Amino acid sequence: MSQFIHILPVITVLIAAVALMFMSMYTDKFSVKTYIGVSSIVLVAALIFVFIPFGESFSIKPYNSVFNNVLIFDTFSNFFYVLLIGGTLLTLLIGEHYFQHRDYFKGEFFSILLFALFGMMILANANELITAYIALEIASFSVYIMVGYNSEDSRRVEAIFKYLVLGSFIGAFYLLGVVLVYGATQTTNLTEISNFISTTNLSDAPLLYIGLTLILFTFLFKISAFPFQQWVLDVYRGAPMIITAFMASTFKIAIFSFFLRAMLQDLQAIVNFWDSIIYVVIVLTLVFGTWLAVSQKLVKRMLAASSIVHTGYLLLGFIAIGQNMDAAYSVVFYLIAYLLSALGSFGLVSHIISETKVRVTYDDFKGLAHERPFLAAMMTVFMFSLAGIPSTIGFMGKFYVFTEAIHAGYIALAILAIIATFVSVYYYFKLIAMMYFYPTKGECVSNDFNDKRVSTYAIAFLAIITVVGGIGSAIVFFIPVLNIDTLINLTQVSIQSLFIK
Amino acid sequence: MSADILSFIIFLPAIVGFGLMITTKHVETVRNIAFLTTTVILALVLKIYIDFEPSSGMQFVTNVPWIGSYGINYYIGVDGFSLTILMMIAILIPTAYLLLWEGRTKGYWINMLLVQTGVTGALLSLDVILFYFFWEVMLLPVFLMIGIYGFGEKVFTTIKVTVYTMLGSLLMFVAILYLGVSYFNEFGQWSFQYDSLTQITTLSYNEKIWLFLAFLSAFAIKIPIFPLHTWIMETYKNAPTGAVFLLSSIMAKLGVYAIVRFMIPIFPDIYVEFSTWFVFIGLFGLIYFGVAALMQDDIKRMFAYSSASHLSFIAAGIFSLNEFGINGALYLIIAHAIATGALFLLVGIIHDETGFKTIKDLGGLAKQSPIFTTIFAIMLFANVGLPGTNGFVSELLIIFGIYEFNHTLGYISALTVIIGASYMLWMFQRAILVKRTSGEDLKFRDLKIKEILGLTPWIILVFLMGIYPEIFIDKFEPTVTHYLNDILQIGATK
Repeated sequence: MSQFIHILPVITVLIAAVALMFMSMYTDKFSVKTYIGVSSIVLVAALIFVFIPFGESFSIKPYNSVFNNVLIFDTFSNFFYVLLIGGTLLTLLIGEHYFQHRDYFKGEFFSILLFALFGMMILANANELITAYIALEIASFSVYIMVGYNSEDSRRVEAIFKYLVLGSFIGAFYLLGVVLVYGATQTTNLTEISNFISTTNLSDAPLLYIGLTLILFTFLFKISAFPFQQWVLDVYRGAPMIITAFMASTFKIAIFSFFLRAMLQDLQAIVNFWDSIIYVVIVLTLVFGTWLAVSQKLVKRMLAASSIVHTGYLLLGFIAIGQNMDAAYSVVFYLIAYLLSALGSFGLVSHIISETKVRVTYDDFKGLAHERPFLAAMMTVFMFSLAGIPSTIGFMGKFYVFTEAIHAGYIALAILAIIATFVSVYYYFKLIAMMYFYPTKGECVSNDFNDKRVSTYAIAFLAIITVVGGIGSAIVFFIPVLNIDTLINLTQVSIQSLFIK
Repeated sequence: MSADILSFIIFLPAIVGFGLMITTKHVETVRNIAFLTTTVILALVLKIYIDFEPSSGMQFVTNVPWIGSYGINYYIGVDGFSLTILMMIAILIPTAYLLLWEGRTKGYWINMLLVQTGVTGALLSLDVILFYFFWEVMLLPVFLMIGIYGFGEKVFTTIKVTVYTMLGSLLMFVAILYLGVSYFNEFGQWSFQYDSLTQITTLSYNEKIWLFLAFLSAFAIKIPIFPLHTWIMETYKNAPTGAVFLLSSIMAKLGVYAIVRFMIPIFPDIYVEFSTWFVFIGLFGLIYFGVAALMQDDIKRMFAYSSASHLSFIAAGIFSLNEFGINGALYLIIAHAIATGALFLLVGIIHDETGFKTIKDLGGLAKQSPIFTTIFAIMLFANVGLPGTNGFVSELLIIFGIYEFNHTLGYISALTVIIGASYMLWMFQRAILVKRTSGEDLKFRDLKIKEILGLTPWIILVFLMGIYPEIFIDKFEPTVTHYLNDILQIGATK
């Protein structure tokens, strides 16, 4: 029975996804609102199931006879469940208005969204390369479909095509990598690969290195690091706004969940082999991402481009892991920080455009603070957080990552990252300047806009968490929960569960 | 409770500010409550000032874990140094409210409140991360104030200010992280408290120089020290009066304060080694900005340069390595805050009333507004260091300090006082005393009773500090002696 508790969240999401699929056959019977409601309730239920074993440190491989050790359930995966389910739930809530005002969102969309979540959750559990591939593809294909959902925008064809072709292409690389790893180790199970690494003279196993490098490329592609960042702008641009939010935050976290597990749990001994590659990748990711972000006129594209820069920061924590295990916590913490701020900012833009048809350039934001002060204030919070201004969780994330990077000896990289941060102040603050310092233009204001909606509350919730996560409640109020320390401890407990043998 | 009084002082304005933001729309209510808040703070600071016993150590310390896993603490306290500046901030801000009283919006007042939290927090923080946190927080409201309420090319100005200060801050941030990691490597645990960081012994000479410069970049931009001053021209010209007042009177002083608080204890040897350079740069800035001020026609810009010139003088005093210089610099921080703050606010009134910003548009104000002229003159004389005013005491002390540091530089610094006197008096003559050359007479009101009341404590301070400096110097002297004897180990000259 106790084993069942652990797989319950995944089962819930899967059943719900299938059920929604059947529901969507009767499109005219259910409104979009119903779908959102059902999905949200299911996600909340799944979240509750996640919290049952939450907090304790455990690591089990349930139902050995059925799963043959390909799935592993531990505090680490549980922690990522919270982020993934939470991210999806917030995507739904923030998009509530957007979904209702775009005719092309039909019932099956929500089924696909839950399938994507299912894939991502399995990815967090995967202890075997092929399982991870399947999970990754379940998630990816769901995302491909969602990217192409915007039937009113001609750019969707380019977006979906680019993403699909490149994604499949890189998927083939992954499979080739798995084949090579299998050739070297006679297994695709990560635990056994780990055993192989610890027992064999690795200079005899070049295939293992080549295979794993190919797998690394997939990772870099999915998180849009240089040189695989080409697809990001067009795909994010063509996708419906809310899906962009989902991809930038939640999907990225899922990718990290698997690769962090592999790196820390099984490949720790040979991780340093890739240092020089990742070093170059970080430098170029930061430089290119920054350059792209500075040159954008559309807010959506700027956010997309800046997500590349954030990938650079994440990789900075990632490379530090080789020298210093503590850096893993910083990566996870940064993921949380980025999830909150990215969902918030993308979500807010989608909230604004849900009833209007503007392209959302910087200019469209002019004077928003006078028309809708609360939305502007929340946007400001998210921009601060993305730019890493103190008092927001984004600052804590950066502080954490940079400290660990310096601790690991990557001082030059840390300075480069700080310079990138400095430049990022320009493109994030530009938006704030637009909102506050200019008279209203009125493009983003619609008449029947009332701000008492689910999406507003969801965004406000994110904004509050973003601030509380930054200053913590240690100051003034001394509330023990909701503390940054608690959050840091949670990341530590979750990562330590990877090492339970 | 007595220990938490500092936290209360720090956070009260922010809490009130956020409360006002969501509750009321009435500008008058917001302003009155905000003003009341600042007077409450003034009362509390007075209580601290009286309770404070002159000694070298920190008092009213609160130290609780904030982010425990990284050894970041909510660590605040006050010593003679910060106490003096705390007092200054607490007095200046409410009076500034009185002078800015009419015609502002709700956001203006809320931003003023938020700045006060940031400034006081930065002043009292003894943990560098906490300090960095407040350091950035105090910038953001000013950024909004300039952007929303500024004049001319305000957006460009805002971006320029932000870019400059952020650049400095981020360099400092790297240095802070580097120090933290060094501490961790040496002692096996994290800590960002300034007194922990002073114990680091593993840094090489080169590392120290880089870190020193990184810290200095943040503070020198804020002060501003030549050649990192280029942001002040547009800012002081285009920013609203309140923001100019805050930047010049208060935030610039925090730059100086931070040098003393963090850089001297953490890098004493580098500080001593490079002090000659900085005294030199300070004096150069003093002359350079002084000459630039002479040539200005825009009255706000003239004050901007004048302010920069005096701040360079303060910087020179800080680096003069003896008690005269440091005491004098600290004294000038206060004196300059009062004089420049008052002058900026008075010029703000001129600008609000007449719309003129250049000296040649003005003239003959003395006739229509005798009280205004009198107060303006007092502040002006304090600024140029007329005997009997606080400016005189501080400039004298600094000149003594620099003389003791190096005789030649001492003579030079003594002579530079003339520059300050000439641009100030020349401006006073053209803008206030002499009749206007073109057009009909200016319509200009005299100060209202509220404004006079607001300025009275400043005038009292100007003379009290000028005539009887001991009561103030006694409070911070032990701290300065501690810095020289224990940290720099060069012995205080008594």
